[in-house]
Amino acid sequence: MDFPILTALILLPFVGALFVACLPSNRPETIRIAGMMTAIATLGLTLWMLADFETGKAGYQFLSSHAWFSDLGVRYTLGVDGISLFMVVLNALLLPIALLASTGVNERAKAFTVWLLVLEAALMGAFLALDLVLFFVFFEVVLVPMYFLIAGWGHGRRNYAATKFFIYTMAGSAFLFIGILAVGFLHKSSTGVLTFDVRVLTQWAPAGIAPTTAAWLFAAFTIAFAVKVPLVPLHTWLPDAHTEAPTAGSVILAGVMLKLGTYGFLRFAIPIFPAAAVKYAPVLLTLAVIGIIYGAIVATMQPDLKRLVAYSSIAHLGFVVLGTFALTRQGLDGAVFTMLSHGLTTGVLFLIIGFLYERRHTRLIADFGGLWRSAPIMGGLFVVTAFASIGLPGFSGFVGEFLALLGTFMGHRWYAVVAASGVILAAIYLLWAVQRAFTGVPEGDNATISDLNVRELACILPLLALSLFLGVYPKPALDRIGPSVKAVIAHVEKSTSYESPKFSKHSPILNEERMDHGSDEMEESK
Amino acid sequence: MNPLGVASIVTPGVDWLGVAPVALLALAAIGIVLQRSILRRASVAYPSALIVAAVGIILSAVALIAQWHRVQTDGSYTTLSKMVAVDGFSIFIGGVVLVATACSVLLASRYLDRERLDGPEYLALMLLSASGMLAMASANDLIAVFVALEIVSIPLYVLVAYDRRRSTSLEAGMKYFLLGAFASAVFLYGVALTYGATGSTGLVGIANYLSEVTLLERGTLLAGLVLMLVGLGFKVAAAPFHMWTPDVYQGAPTPVTAFMASATKAAAFAALIRILYTALGGSSSDWRPLLWVLAVLSLLVGSIGAVIQTDVKRMLAYSSINHAGFILIGVQAGTIKGVSSALTYLAIYAFLAVGSFAIVGVVAGRGDADSDLERFKGLSSRRTGLSWAFTLLLLAQAGVPLTAGFIAKFGVFSAAAGAGGTSYVLALIGMLTAAIAAFVYLRIAATMFTPAGEGDQVLASSKVDLGTGIVIWFSCALTIVIGVAPGFLLGLAERATLLFLR
Amino acid sequence: MIVTPTWYLVLAAALFSIGAVGMLVRRNVIVMFMCVELMLNAVNLTFVTFSKTLNDLSGQVAVFFVLVVAAAEVAIGLALIVAIFRRRHTGTTADDISELRG
Repeated sequence: MDFPILTALILLPFVGALFVACLPSNRPETIRIAGMMTAIATLGLTLWMLADFETGKAGYQFLSSHAWFSDLGVRYTLGVDGISLFMVVLNALLLPIALLASTGVNERAKAFTVWLLVLEAALMGAFLALDLVLFFVFFEVVLVPMYFLIAGWGHGRRNYAATKFFIYTMAGSAFLFIGILAVGFLHKSSTGVLTFDVRVLTQWAPAGIAPTTAAWLFAAFTIAFAVKVPLVPLHTWLPDAHTEAPTAGSVILAGVMLKLGTYGFLRFAIPIFPAAAVKYAPVLLTLAVIGIIYGAIVATMQPDLKRLVAYSSIAHLGFVVLGTFALTRQGLDGAVFTMLSHGLTTGVLFLIIGFLYERRHTRLIADFGGLWRSAPIMGGLFVVTAFASIGLPGFSGFVGEFLALLGTFMGHRWYAVVAASGVILAAIYLLWAVQRAFTGVPEGDNATISDLNVRELACILPLLALSLFLGVYPKPALDRIGPSVKAVIAHVEKSTSYESPKFSKHSPILNEERMDHGSDEMEESK
Repeated sequence: MNPLGVASIVTPGVDWLGVAPVALLALAAIGIVLQRSILRRASVAYPSALIVAAVGIILSAVALIAQWHRVQTDGSYTTLSKMVAVDGFSIFIGGVVLVATACSVLLASRYLDRERLDGPEYLALMLLSASGMLAMASANDLIAVFVALEIVSIPLYVLVAYDRRRSTSLEAGMKYFLLGAFASAVFLYGVALTYGATGSTGLVGIANYLSEVTLLERGTLLAGLVLMLVGLGFKVAAAPFHMWTPDVYQGAPTPVTAFMASATKAAAFAALIRILYTALGGSSSDWRPLLWVLAVLSLLVGSIGAVIQTDVKRMLAYSSINHAGFILIGVQAGTIKGVSSALTYLAIYAFLAVGSFAIVGVVAGRGDADSDLERFKGLSSRRTGLSWAFTLLLLAQAGVPLTAGFIAKFGVFSAAAGAGGTSYVLALIGMLTAAIAAFVYLRIAATMFTPAGEGDQVLASSKVDLGTGIVIWFSCALTIVIGVAPGFLLGLAERATLLFLR
Repeated sequence: MIVTPTWYLVLAAALFSIGAVGMLVRRNVIVMFMCVELMLNAVNLTFVTFSKTLNDLSGQVAVFFVLVVAAAEVAIGLALIVAIFRRRHTGTTADDISELRG
């Protein structure tokens, strides 16, 4: 029997958390080292999996499946494919960085480390689960450590923010849970087998569920995932949670947790209800575009740096949803790629803001000024990250958002046109913030601020480097994402009358050269 | 013909094993009262009463296990001329009741000393009430249900009012008594009408009658059904018959509250399920809509009511109403799956409730009067373990996965999904109210982790005594074990339902 | 004029309703308690009537159980009332007993 690497990915951080919990709480250094070792070991294991991952295959890899509670048809089934692969990697990558960034947390350092590791384990589980109920289990469990991280180590109105976050998601997942049960039991009543296996249900559901029922169930799934993404009318928990969360919490929340929503769309909502997804795609595209524009405009007006980045997340995730419901290969490629890229760049933004907060105990843009002169490395890196986040060519943000826009343009031209203006708005809010906080002549405390130290650089540089690498050479990522995405589109096309718009000649768009070619064709088709 | 010239009376055969669990508990209770009259010194009487209680509970449990084995091999049976049914269902509920009773006795062991209350009588009353609950679980005749109900209730009236130096306890006892007696009378009128409509008080007799005869005039039966539902609705604390719950749960001594939330609920639901499924199983289309309404009201009242409370005991009381709604979701499904999910839920809720109230009892401290939310402020810094245990139990009540609470909710929702139709709406309402209730649980948890400020009343002496400690550990351990590996409990509930006598 | 069983049933229903309404509107604890007894006796009358019409003894047997239970309830109820008034020395209405609220 093969080594159950996916189970190990979930168990390792969890066991590490248990181990840390048993350490004496008056030795914060030991606790940090133990937590760090666990996180690095998990990262190592993830990289091993990444190396073993067979490029060019669409199906699930490293499958493992065991009965869990068989009476109710629930199995413990794990697997990874191109869509979940990079989410797992991102999760494993951000955790050690989050730990490293929080060495300033001295108050109850043990509980803090334990919760972060539990969070990692739960997120791993959510991205690896191939059983709907198992997914739901992890989807909900994720809330608990995050709740305690925000409520225990947050700022300002942390209890309010944490509770709002918990209740919003729980109310959203109420719909998801009923939807999951309905799918399982509809399958049972037509085939006699009670199962929640995604693979089985994806094959059966498109033809097995009546269109009206499917539309309702799709709506149920959508509400839950839309809360998590978040899509615009359901987004109000996010700015509060982000603003009040400790730095590590914000990094994981923005970097990994929000992607549970978009991942849910890609993995569950669209494959199980392809017809409904095609039919209601315009609705979600509209919400995505509203999110892009609204997030950007509101971000412009924020006086608080962290809130600004929080609203920018709404805009970025809007691109992901846009690409997803474009239902073209390029769009889906772009969506998954943006999920990865947003985790990297927004992570860095939150880290730098966190470091700033540690120095100045404020996040208000108005309190800063001229930081570039007093802390040149920090200023320089913030500007670079801002560019990466805006989506300047050469950074990963560009590749993802460009593909998403391109994919949308092929089928839904006007959505793409409006959404593209979101990129310009992103430039406005980030560069304006940079201008106010980092340029000019520093006064008072801003003049004496210390620059980033080695530890802080060690947090930031790997993420930025990765963003730059993927921006210049996205092929390794796209090669792994591509086949799975292609399979999703093929599944949708097979089970509905939908036909995704395609370019006439060359198929995948993987590098700059072909992208140019693609945009030529776009112009032709105008 | 005997010398008196009367035909000899034929007495029904008694299967002693069938009545042993009930009889042993009742005997233990009588034993405690007797030895109390012999041993006058409290320092001797109380420990020996505890021993008798423990022996009674253990023997009763042994009898239940023996019954389980017999039922496994020989199948379910009735005894005492069909008044008592011995089946998997009754044994399962009996087990839940016994575990809850044992926990409540453990909780009370030091509590009574602390509050300077008489010990032996308390134990006797609790065992008597528990024996009524066991009888209720296996009652197969409406009259037997009624008598068992009263054996449960009458000692409980006294127990609620047991702390007679504290006026809130007396007040709670009075309220519980008046409303309980009222509910019993309503239930009994329902029994009378059902008897009039079908000519029998035996559950099987009613079912047979209904399967043979098509009632032209169903009005009487329906009225009887509704009245019985009202009466049992009071006992299970389902809205809109819940008014007494917050007051009584708050006023009663905490171990009694724990006992009521866990054991009484289980027993009352057992009677409800047996009446509905055994006697009226054929007319489920009549009672399913009624239960649907009860469930929705309980879910909403329980969750929304809890939000506006400031006393933790009252919050938990409303949450208990909310949980009654969840159990009703399972019951209203009208399927075998529904019964087994309700059983699972009852078992899980029993230890969640016992554990939660045990912790509230510790925090409320001497006098047991103050369980205000303010008192929980900063608990985490003073008693870290206790606050984590409470957090775990609260999260489980909210239904967070990998805790037992999720398994419970998953079961009833599966049953609802299996029943289909309007049950989906019910399940959705249930999940949404779970989110509202989660707000309350999180509020308690957040309060515990907020540091106490100047002038906040803090816990004077809050040593967790051995009995309470065991109960808290036990419920927390079960919460996690069942949450991760529910197979055993689910299998047990499944078996119990398959052996359900219908 | 023939007195049919229906008359008894209607009488019982009327008694039961009087008891139930009294229970809900009266505030004096002892009167409330008497209302419960009235309800129980209404039920007894119903049982006996049905027993007669159905020609079945079990209804009459049920009445004995109800009587015993009612007696036990009286004992407990009066004891509770006495305990409360010993402690409080106030009026005998339910409105006086209202420390628990929220």
